[in-house]
Amino acid sequence: MRYTSTELLNKLYAQTEKHIDKAISVWQTTPGAIFNHSAAAGKWSAAQCLEHLNSYSRYYLPAIEKALQAAQKPPAGIFKSGWLGNYFFQLMLTDSAGNARKKMKSPKDHRPPDTLNGVGGLTEFISQLEKLGTLLTLAQQVNLNELKVPVSIAPFIKLKLGDTFLFYTAHIQRHVLQADRALQAAGAINKQSATF
Amino acid sequence: MSADPIVQLKQLLFFIHSLEENEWDELAAIWQPFTAKRKTILTHAGETEKYLYFVTDGVQRVFYHDEYDREATIAFSYPPSFTGVADSFLMQTASRCFVETLTPSSFLRTTYAQLDELMHEYHNIEHLIRLATNTAFAGVLERMIEIQCYSAEEKFRTLLKRSPHILNLIPHKYIANYMGVDATNFSKLLAKVRI
Repeated sequence: MRYTSTELLNKLYAQTEKHIDKAISVWQTTPGAIFNHSAAAGKWSAAQCLEHLNSYSRYYLPAIEKALQAAQKPPAGIFKSGWLGNYFFQLMLTDSAGNARKKMKSPKDHRPPDTLNGVGGLTEFISQLEKLGTLLTLAQQVNLNELKVPVSIAPFIKLKLGDTFLFYTAHIQRHVLQADRALQAAGAINKQSATF
Repeated sequence: MSADPIVQLKQLLFFIHSLEENEWDELAAIWQPFTAKRKTILTHAGETEKYLYFVTDGVQRVFYHDEYDREATIAFSYPPSFTGVADSFLMQTASRCFVETLTPSSFLRTTYAQLDELMHEYHNIEHLIRLATNTAFAGVLERMIEIQCYSAEEKFRTLLKRSPHILNLIPHKYIANYMGVDATNFSKLLAKVRI
């Protein structure tokens, strides 16, 4: 697939801004009980969704930053995704209702623990998104085809920077939507059981 | 629907001190619109503050950060108010602080050179700047008392009285930093104060 580099980065930046905005204006003031509520056995709470995302960010943000620092060529007008990068990206996508198109079990290293500390995960999530926004802005100055980032679960596989941004942000989108569903379920149950 | 930025600026300035129409016309002419994305550093420590910013959208902070990783958020700004490193601007000396946007932000800004020229020409404009500086100075003394004497909870309540919407506008880590508490203690405070 071919993308106009600046348009792609602007789109991903706008998507990231939407997530930051939601995290700041809604999630920060959502009670911890709702954030940590699991709708059913085996279903992740919103907090677990964020911790899952944080575990990927801890690898990918430094890896992307390292790739940016190695930039030598000027930006290319067109970014052309590689077949493997595009495959990973497609795996992450959600349908129009926001549900995952392809269900997957997460790799062992990225499975969130059952109990989480209250607020640290959301604080870290917001910081990661701020960092991502900054990296997407810096990436406007580099060639998205030239620079490569090793994949976290298979470091011998290197994806183009553009593909990395695509699948990484699609992954965030996927689990943000999942977190939203978890919060809705928790909110509904909370309303039922509230006795004021 | 918020007013035109230059109208907002006039309102804020005239609240401090009224100018004659011709003086206002000259002062109005030296401001330029400016926007910046989230997490943009407007001024770096070590630079001389070139601009006075009038905030029309978004939230920003002035902060100190040193080589020992000590960080102190000095102040937040949001519309309608001024930002920039005040002492560096007024004295044209090197800033010890950074200014950054915490959200996408819009401003009107002017330069020291342009403002200084008007201050030399119009005593009334210099008077306006002096009165504004007095208020800023009084605010700093009040904040010093707060920092040394108030409990974390009192600091939080004071901040919320001054800036009631801040909890939904910026990441809480900046508020925690402003108050000198860590994130865990902040979330306990948040739970306590909001009930």
